[in-house]
Amino acid sequence: MHNLGFALDGAWRVLLAGLLLGAGLPVLFALGIRSLAWADAGGVARPAGRTLGYGLFAVVILGVLLGITFIVATGFGKALSFEHIYPTIVPKH
Amino acid sequence: MTQASVVLALVVVTALAFDFTNGFHDTANAMATTIATKALKPKTAVALSGILNLVGAFLSVQVALTVTNAVVKIQNSNGTPKESLVSDGGSALLLIILAGLVGGIVWNLLTWLLGLPSSSSHALFGGLIGATIAGLGWAGVNWNGDGSKLDGVVGKVLLPAVLSPVIAGVVALVGTWIIHRITAGLAARHTDQGFKWGQIGSASLVSLAHGTNDAQKTMGVITLALIASGDWTDTKNIPFWVKVACALAIALGTYLGGWRIIRTLGKGLVDIAPAQGMAAQSSSAAVILASSHLGFALSTTHVATGSVLGSGLGRPGAQVRWRVAGRMITAWLITLPAAGLVGAAMWGVGHLVGGLAGALVVFAVLVAASLAVWFRSRRTPIGSHNVNDDWEPVAPPAAPADEPARVPVTAAHGGV
Repeated sequence: MHNLGFALDGAWRVLLAGLLLGAGLPVLFALGIRSLAWADAGGVARPAGRTLGYGLFAVVILGVLLGITFIVATGFGKALSFEHIYPTIVPKH
Repeated sequence: MTQASVVLALVVVTALAFDFTNGFHDTANAMATTIATKALKPKTAVALSGILNLVGAFLSVQVALTVTNAVVKIQNSNGTPKESLVSDGGSALLLIILAGLVGGIVWNLLTWLLGLPSSSSHALFGGLIGATIAGLGWAGVNWNGDGSKLDGVVGKVLLPAVLSPVIAGVVALVGTWIIHRITAGLAARHTDQGFKWGQIGSASLVSLAHGTNDAQKTMGVITLALIASGDWTDTKNIPFWVKVACALAIALGTYLGGWRIIRTLGKGLVDIAPAQGMAAQSSSAAVILASSHLGFALSTTHVATGSVLGSGLGRPGAQVRWRVAGRMITAWLITLPAAGLVGAAMWGVGHLVGGLAGALVVFAVLVAASLAVWFRSRRTPIGSHNVNDDWEPVAPPAAPADEPARVPVTAAHGGV
């Protein structure tokens, strides 16, 4: 059952990436919403909350851009490489 | 026109019909939660998803011709058809492809009628496996791969089907639970707009990824048929008209909506709140893209369903209708054999009658079956007007909870 081994090996990687991006990014997004709500709660203006909130949204948008880059790269027969930490587009092997 | 070119035309038309069913069968994967939480109006949601599928399909610049190699042995590793199958002008291969496609379409239509989200790629693979067993015997099927990588029916179909809903479910469960913790007690004016855009963004990613992935499969199958009949020789590129036709077919199908399945996934399985919708859709997008990046491609349908289930388990107090979930899982289990049986039967019929007449009979059976399903569906139409009605009617007489098709509706108009 070599296939089972390959599948389980793939599965935990997908689970890890899924948790990081699929749960992590929405959580950051929710924190951003929380910050914005805090920024104008109780009639006191808190610019720090606004800055933090938009900062968190920016991280989420970067995540979405990564997703789009990946889809486009796949269409052109390329893949993303995280070899240098930051993603680069490489030919598909 | 020679006999062979008529058969080829039938195969191309059938493949585009499959692509079309693939479109409306899978609209729900991207848009069911967005529609259920009213982040987008039903018509707007399917239009957005259709456009993104069109864009995604055109992004498919490099199309692999080896799509069938995962499950059957009718192609060489460079994408050309096996020589033994094209010795008679390609008719042996064309009949297997035609019968397999019919198996996939018939199963897609039946599950749509019942409002069950089942995997379109499994239906296609099931049909091809059935037709191949009938035509070439058990040895024609790539059951387990060659041991060097995840491959074959077990590695590309069965194992991913078991694992994908679990992975997506866990991700959505964790996401939903934490998001609810973070945003508990916030006024709706703070959260609603945010969750709305979160859902639209993640649903758009799923639609785009669907267009690039699924339209490619039909492009590959049509090009394989063209090579088999000698009308195309380039294994590095596909004809431009094939790309345009497939892109349009999947986009139109998506735009049509598949409202029955949207209803089951959006309203039937769990009652979705906006935060859950965002968590479920983000989980789907991340799991689909990550799995495709890691070469462990998962079915969009299984991932989306797992995500919705997970989001139901993650929100305190949310109810999961396990009977609906059970029906879905049953449908997943029988997708492969059921589509396979239809595919095998179609090959048998086509082979028995033989030649052009055989292909015409198979095509006629497909048309008859499609019309029968369509007329049956008109008795309980579900469309954009009633897709979001309560799953269980509040007032008696109560319709059976697990039968979406019986929800009483009076309007005779409406889509699919």
